[in-house]
Amino acid sequence: MESIDTWKLVSLSPHPLLVVVALSVALVFGVGLACWGVRRESSPRRRWLLWTLRVLAGLCAFFFLVEPGLRRLQVARVKNRVAVLVDRSGSMNFPVEPRGVTRNEAVAKALEALAPQTDALKDRYAFETYGFDPELGATTVEGLRAQPPRSGRSDLFAALRAIKAGEGGGARKLAGVILFSDGADNADLASGLSGRPKQVLEQLGVPVTTVAVGKGGLTDLAIDAVRVDDFAFVRNSITAEVELHGRGFADQAVQVVLKREGQVVASKTATFTSNDETQTVKFTFTPDQTGRFVYTVSVPVYPEEVVAENNTRSFALKVIRDRVRVLLVSGRPSWDERFLRGVLRADANVELISFYILRNQLDDSGVSQGNEPRELSLIPFPREEIFQKKIDTFDVIIVLNFGHEDQGVSLAAFRNDIERYVRNGGAFAYLGGDRSFGEAQSSINPFDEVLPVTTAGTAELAPFVAKLTLQGATHPITALASGTVSSEAAWAAFPAIPGMNLTRPREGSTVLLTHPTAQVDGQPAPLLTISELGRGRTLAIGTDGTWYWAFPSHAGGGQGRNYERFWSNAIRWLVRDPDLTTLSVTADPSSVEPGKPVGVVVVARQPDYQPAPGAKVSVELIDADDGHVVAQQAGEAAADGTIRLEFPPPEPGAYKVVGRATKDDKPLGESSDAVAVRAVGPELADARVNAALLEDVAKATGGAFFDAPSFNLSDVPLREPPLVEVGRSKDQPLWDRWYWLSMLVVVVGLEWAVRRRFGYV
Amino acid sequence: MVSRRVLLAAAASLPAFGFGDASRFIPAVVKHGGKWDLRTSGLRRLAWELQRRTSVEVLLEARPMTLDHPRLLEHPFLYLSSDGDFPPFSQAEVENLRRYLTFGGFLFCDANDGSDGAGFDAAIRRELARVLPQSPLTVLPSTHVIFKSFFLIDSAPGRFLNKPSLEACLVNKRAAVVYSQNDVLGALNRDESGTWEFEPSPGGARQREYATRLALNLAMYALCLDYKDDAVHLPVIMNRRR
Repeated sequence: MESIDTWKLVSLSPHPLLVVVALSVALVFGVGLACWGVRRESSPRRRWLLWTLRVLAGLCAFFFLVEPGLRRLQVARVKNRVAVLVDRSGSMNFPVEPRGVTRNEAVAKALEALAPQTDALKDRYAFETYGFDPELGATTVEGLRAQPPRSGRSDLFAALRAIKAGEGGGARKLAGVILFSDGADNADLASGLSGRPKQVLEQLGVPVTTVAVGKGGLTDLAIDAVRVDDFAFVRNSITAEVELHGRGFADQAVQVVLKREGQVVASKTATFTSNDETQTVKFTFTPDQTGRFVYTVSVPVYPEEVVAENNTRSFALKVIRDRVRVLLVSGRPSWDERFLRGVLRADANVELISFYILRNQLDDSGVSQGNEPRELSLIPFPREEIFQKKIDTFDVIIVLNFGHEDQGVSLAAFRNDIERYVRNGGAFAYLGGDRSFGEAQSSINPFDEVLPVTTAGTAELAPFVAKLTLQGATHPITALASGTVSSEAAWAAFPAIPGMNLTRPREGSTVLLTHPTAQVDGQPAPLLTISELGRGRTLAIGTDGTWYWAFPSHAGGGQGRNYERFWSNAIRWLVRDPDLTTLSVTADPSSVEPGKPVGVVVVARQPDYQPAPGAKVSVELIDADDGHVVAQQAGEAAADGTIRLEFPPPEPGAYKVVGRATKDDKPLGESSDAVAVRAVGPELADARVNAALLEDVAKATGGAFFDAPSFNLSDVPLREPPLVEVGRSKDQPLWDRWYWLSMLVVVVGLEWAVRRRFGYV
Repeated sequence: MVSRRVLLAAAASLPAFGFGDASRFIPAVVKHGGKWDLRTSGLRRLAWELQRRTSVEVLLEARPMTLDHPRLLEHPFLYLSSDGDFPPFSQAEVENLRRYLTFGGFLFCDANDGSDGAGFDAAIRRELARVLPQSPLTVLPSTHVIFKSFFLIDSAPGRFLNKPSLEACLVNKRAAVVYSQNDVLGALNRDESGTWEFEPSPGGARQREYATRLALNLAMYALCLDYKDDAVHLPVIMNRRR
């Protein structure tokens, strides 16, 4: 600490300050009165002379009252702190330039080079070196070299706020900050300096000098971001925007590939025109199935790239339904069609598209052919449009009693399209009647390949009340009330149906409702049968009398809506409504950062959809690309049927989590979800140097910006250290000189003489 | 072209009641205290024309039903008419008809006497006010789907042409009751000798054809509801109406 001498003027009066002030006020009052006393003096010259002498006398009196003196002091300048902040995030391991040293090593060298300059300023500033990752920690040049940067986060704003917050705790003030970084912030300043962070830095009160570490010229291809909605609607197109950053790829074309769990969805080519350019590649695709899927965008890895891991990026996409798009095709107008239409039209979640065959080839409208277009409202049955071009746009196809042999409306030519539609995830329901199965006019059943039943003879004519099977008693389609007993009662309360087609269930299908007495192959004849075909689901009802459940069921005054509930259940089951499963498996979260565990939440419910406490749950983590099981976890559901399981951090990639559960040795079902484990976090995804951000930080705080680690400390703005009193002070009176007293006597005496001369007392 | 004789023979050869018959169009006629059975021949003709001109399968004979019949709701198409006044419905009939209309039934009321303010007109308005007090009769606009459910028509003639339009009681936007003061089925009625019972006035045979088309459209509406209002039909129909 360097000491120096200085002085200041002080009052040496022994009286307390209050007394001095009171006497001073009295003095001013006395001078005022004295001046007031000569206000009637007729001669202005005399009046001004008396006023001047009396004021001078008052000033002299004040001088002696205050007793001024000179205080001599010895003071010293206190050292201030200069914080040297070094970015310790993972990106500081990238080279400064191709085949150059790492950015971290460049900082170490710069600090070594600055050492002589810091030594030269050591009597005024204490230089303290900190690394931030993003927590602040003291470090040295040796420490920087011994421990390579590895933080997954760059948070410049937090580091600057932390160093400022630490200022209050120390005796030494912060004179400035020197920040070494590549500027690749991925926290508050990721999108630049603006808003609240900018305001905070502008009011920091400390100049922050920023030093950009790293240069351009690196060769790297990075998928900076994939912009896509969290969810998409099935059979509706969605666009994923891929932000591809190429450095050192001027005039090169790069193949960008989008995959869904190992299967290529689309690929595009991006061509860079400069050596540092961001291209946006748009993929528009149409998910054809509901559920959660992991999509992966990737570009090739070139040998000269700095970072290979940022060439792949995965994202999870949840595919849901908008409104269930139902195609209703009826062989002819009928009451079954009328009441089903009423239900579907009233359902806000259903978008209904319907085609009814209103006239057959043999029907005579009574209108001459030339006038038919003008007098009839009929339109041609657009079979190709529906069953070839747009079939995949429907979630459910419901066909009623359609057994036409009329070539004008026959669907025989579309049997392959219908089968492909179902196998690819579509849903198909068929309602029988007097033109179906054994009663069909046509020998070719266009739906034969997809139906869960086959013809088993001519129709059973006797009216009957449908009976729930064992499977039907617990199945969500036939669950008309809460609990098996209530559902059975609801079905038993329906009026008798006037006859049904005789069918035989296919192998693997499930019969939910049967005729109470009629049999096929020794088993109760099926009325409602369901099945799964490929990824799709099918349903068959062997009657066109289901409208009896809708209308005649109200004859006795019943107000129930079980017909509506039945069809709602059937549609939801057909489209695989997630809420209509007894087991729910959800990856939590659906996108996992590298090195983090994969969490899975499983909710197990009993067949009546009540929670299944104590259910034994097992979950497999499966590589979505090759299907091999990576890990397995098991546990027991809590009282609410829920359990959370965690897998140790797996390798980056796309995974499926497949859960199964049993309760009392009875299976509760199987469900799956998808999870994306990222290859690199945001820190390593971007190898660029963000010098613009560092320059903005320097400007906002009043610091300087250097685009390379070589600079002079004299160019760094630092706050001057303050002075403090360190030695004894010595007071030297100024008032006790003879000439000050003589002046007082002369002024008072002169005033007395003049006053007397002018005739005053 | 299939001859009328062949079609009639085919219709007659239909089994009395077989599998699927319950889903066929079976007209039911309301038995009440007035002259309820004057148009059974017209109903038969309506069913026959439906069979002949459209793909709808029918049973020709109308089923007489009292409004409190326990099986009334097995017949979603109901015809109610009279020549002159008829006694008020019983409370049970009112309640059963209300249930019938609320849950999806269709009632076609036809003034056989062409009355306006008296006779059948006064009686049916009185009774409908009891059955559906919240849904009074209102005039159906010519854009309603009933006028395009099979034939494109722009008027509502019957044996008479007293009123150019139909009236309806709407239940949840559905025309649950349609009322004509023009005796629509009177134009289709035949006497015991098989000849037309009435000559439509003033249009004669042409008016009979339009009355037939209206009756068919009503049956189609009962079976298909607003099918012809679907988006896929609208552009074609609007183009044809120009």
